[in-house]
Amino acid sequence: MNNELYSKLVDLYAGNELPAELEDQMELAAAGNAGLNHDMTTLRRVVDALHNLEDPEYTEESYHRILMKLYSRGVDIQPREPVSSHFQYNLPLQG
Amino acid sequence: MASVFSMPNDALRDSLAEKRWLNALGKGDPSALGGLYEMYGERIFRYTFRMLGNRTDAEDATAETFLRVLRRSTELRADGAFRTWLFRIARNLCIDKMRQHKLMELPSDAHYSGSEERATLRVTVQQALSDLPIEYREPLVLCDLEEMAAREAAEILHISVPALKSRLYRGRRALRDKLGGTLERTS
Repeated sequence: MNNELYSKLVDLYAGNELPAELEDQMELAAAGNAGLNHDMTTLRRVVDALHNLEDPEYTEESYHRILMKLYSRGVDIQPREPVSSHFQYNLPLQG
Repeated sequence: MASVFSMPNDALRDSLAEKRWLNALGKGDPSALGGLYEMYGERIFRYTFRMLGNRTDAEDATAETFLRVLRRSTELRADGAFRTWLFRIARNLCIDKMRQHKLMELPSDAHYSGSEERATLRVTVQQALSDLPIEYREPLVLCDLEEMAAREAAEILHISVPALKSRLYRGRRALRDKLGGTLERTS
């Protein structure tokens, strides 16, 4: 098998893009080939790690701050609920 | 027509809502932007956060994206390509911001929860992803994080599907090289 085809198959394997039958054949081949096994395993772990990255948190504060930025540029846009007063003022606490 | 009836209920409802908002916006109803912001605000924010690495710039870029939608509303067509067009606007804004502020050199303010080991891995992966050249990072963000189809991601990036896949595969290998033994230690 030439190197280009080998790399292509490993890339497809890592991205879960191979048909099940071909994937089984790749795993069988990897069982007797440490280099291939390492290549397949580590690349799939990269894909899994990316898929498992948490989404950035879209907070209520971000939602409202974006709306405020649009208001401030003159856009007529309605929030899904009234804006809480603590989004409008940010006063220092003094005690 | 048959394809519309075979769509899942949620997708069909979203598609119809999108058409309704786009038609309203095209007719000069500025309040329709609120509907589009409700539909796509979170996805655009997530995408810009991943590209820029911090909340403040992501919020700015998201607001600017929807502002540009409003300004260019005469170009809108309710033909199913709106999302691609929206992401293209967001992408161009992110690239402009990165050029202006050299944000790639600034630390990310992303926060991750979970067990310590998994949280460490996520931060490491996020940092390694941020360190990748932009031509590798973009396909990874769109395809592996946003789970977008290759065709749509290619359209957003103005490249062919084979070129996108080539960058995606090279990007994954480059990320693996950056992560080194981290993946093996945490497996």
